[in-house]
Amino acid sequence: MKALLLGNEAIAYGALSAGLAVATAYPGTPAPEVLETLEEFKDRFVHWATNEKTAFEIAYGAALAGARALVAMKHVGLNVAADPLHSAAYTGVEGGLLIITADDPWMHSSQNEQDTRWYGLQSYVPVLEPSSPAEAFKYAKRGIEVSEQAKHPVILRSVTRVSHVRAPVELEPPSPPKWGKFTKDVKRFTLVPAHARERRKELVEKWERLREASSMFMAAEGSGDFLIVASGVGYAYVKEALRRLGVDATVVKLGMPVPIPAKLSEYAGREAVVVEEGDPVVELQLRALGLKTRGKLDGLFPKYGELDAAKVAAGIAKAFNIPYDPPRPPKPPMEPPPRPPVLCPGCPHQGTFYILKMATAGLSPVWSGDIGCYSLSLNTGQQDIITHMGSSVGLGYGVAASGRQFVVATVGDSTFYHASLPQLVDLAVRPQPMLIVVMDNGYTAMTGGQPSPAKKVPAEKITEALGIPTFVIDPARVKQSVEVVKKAVEVVKSGKPAVVVSRRPCALVAVRKARRAGLQTPRYRVDEEKCVKCGLCYNVLRCSAISKRPDGKAYVDPSLCVGCGMCAEVCPTNAFKAEGNREAWLAAWSQA
Amino acid sequence: MVTSVVVVGVGGQGVLTLARWLGESAMAAGYDVRIAEVHGMSQRGGSVEVHVRFGEEVHAPIVEEGGADYVVAMEALEALRGYKYLSPRGVLVVNKRVIQPPGRWYDVAQVVEAIAKSEVRHYVVPAFEIALQLGSPIYENAVLLGFAAKLMGLPMPPSLDDKNKEAFLRGAALV
Repeated sequence: MKALLLGNEAIAYGALSAGLAVATAYPGTPAPEVLETLEEFKDRFVHWATNEKTAFEIAYGAALAGARALVAMKHVGLNVAADPLHSAAYTGVEGGLLIITADDPWMHSSQNEQDTRWYGLQSYVPVLEPSSPAEAFKYAKRGIEVSEQAKHPVILRSVTRVSHVRAPVELEPPSPPKWGKFTKDVKRFTLVPAHARERRKELVEKWERLREASSMFMAAEGSGDFLIVASGVGYAYVKEALRRLGVDATVVKLGMPVPIPAKLSEYAGREAVVVEEGDPVVELQLRALGLKTRGKLDGLFPKYGELDAAKVAAGIAKAFNIPYDPPRPPKPPMEPPPRPPVLCPGCPHQGTFYILKMATAGLSPVWSGDIGCYSLSLNTGQQDIITHMGSSVGLGYGVAASGRQFVVATVGDSTFYHASLPQLVDLAVRPQPMLIVVMDNGYTAMTGGQPSPAKKVPAEKITEALGIPTFVIDPARVKQSVEVVKKAVEVVKSGKPAVVVSRRPCALVAVRKARRAGLQTPRYRVDEEKCVKCGLCYNVLRCSAISKRPDGKAYVDPSLCVGCGMCAEVCPTNAFKAEGNREAWLAAWSQA
Repeated sequence: MVTSVVVVGVGGQGVLTLARWLGESAMAAGYDVRIAEVHGMSQRGGSVEVHVRFGEEVHAPIVEEGGADYVVAMEALEALRGYKYLSPRGVLVVNKRVIQPPGRWYDVAQVVEAIAKSEVRHYVVPAFEIALQLGSPIYENAVLLGFAAKLMGLPMPPSLDDKNKEAFLRGAALV
């Protein structure tokens, strides 16, 4: 059966056809659809974990016991799970363990461009790299098989242009799940120094055998003196580029770029153009085998961003001295204005940031931010630091400790559980004056609304247990919430930490549920007589459904308004008029 | 031969869905297809672009600058941003609609007029207006799809519901 599938969906079906039993993940773009697809299969253990380390441990533990398991995450997630990754190589596994990472070159939705294949080299875990969704299906299946045969974990490295590309995929039906039963093997599974030393010796020997496995994923095609080595999606661009240039070349396609197959040494002494997405991971290995290479190392291809057919064609043309005329697009008749991503209309974070701005007026806080939709409050000047999951509380603590500055750390609920709990314990043990704002919208919203632990474990239960004064607000109730947050600010001014939990479900989820239930959400419009052009709604609240008209008055786009009514709360002249019942809508929304 | 299309618009308009439908039509017509989507950050009310390529055998999932046979724009300002993808002989299909960007105000007639005066082959489609006639702006992607698919010689995708079929046919009728 052929279906039009996302690369991530293809990975999920590939793993199912290999008898997957246990699957875990923490959602991160571009990876979440792997587990979303598996969620439909109720005969398997499928779990959204609190973070990538937890997810990794569950899958690894299951594979130690002999089950076939998968763990999926975005590239930076593997940093969080790096500790068990390295141990998994030492102990090996009994059931197949496939580690899916989706890298994000050009950072469409990420903070860095790290290339997961380095982790393969560093941890001695082989890396598979599909070039298309159809191949992603095959490699997920074979990855689990190879892992179980070798008793060794295997990484499947995808990239945005495989994970989030939809293409026809030949599917095979799911196989029954293979569950496990733990068999004790103390010398293997307890990595105390005496045991780990033995495992280390085995590991380096095993690595040589895995080079043989790598050969199974290598294919050479074409002919001619020009030699091209391509890995992953780089291969897709090579095919396209050669067609455009009208030249023939010997193309060696690598499906397992780490470790590269030993038999590539037959090309030693020859010059190869190396096409790979990310860092020169294959290129460096080829040089170690004695090939002369051109690629990322000499700048033939850009050292940052994504490849495309034109970049690859230009590089190949340059290396082989072939004429190439890149296409030249027409110029637009006027410059398009910037349109950065913004918080959705009705987004609870929009209310939270307005409330925080009002409650901290005059204090010039350092805004310590985090990874999630709320990073978009960069637009209101309320994110000074965003670096990684957990940066809000962790780095905020450091900033506060650096010299008694007023820090506001803003963190979403999913990120709070993922990466901020240990920092809170530090804060309880050694208090610093900082305001921590947990923006609980009940979902991991940025990645598509996966569940967050917030519904079962409310943040205030944790912070109160730690003895940190905690205040709960509803961000849609702008006016009354400003007064509550001012109390929290007073606590911080006295030299102690305080927590605000700002709770209202994600507007996207709430509106979707309302539409499905046939519920009409209210809409707001501007009474032009009353609008005094103060700009609080479009400049400070910054609702993306509200624009500033040429005459300075506010305008609500009726097709975008979701009826949250925050504009009406911030308006000093009551210029916003509701069509529909706000109270009934807010009550229904709270249940989303 | 491979046809390269870039679908652009504003996050929340249904750009992804339009592109997916276009890919389904191409697949229904027997072509190999690649649809390169964007998720996550890029979707939040900002500029969105999805690449669709179809033909006998497709490899590269994305369209490079200057490589598009068609740019299908769900919004006129985003159409301007889409010019960079147009090949010298590329065709621009643009919805007659402006969604105001943060802090700026544009008149839809002025933007459309500027596009009309530029030297690219283009079609202005009143998809937003037709969608409102059909009862909701959510149908504008199906109207625009109808127009674009007819232009490209592709059939109606199999997965449309009745209302979207109607929207598709209204768009196709304008070609």
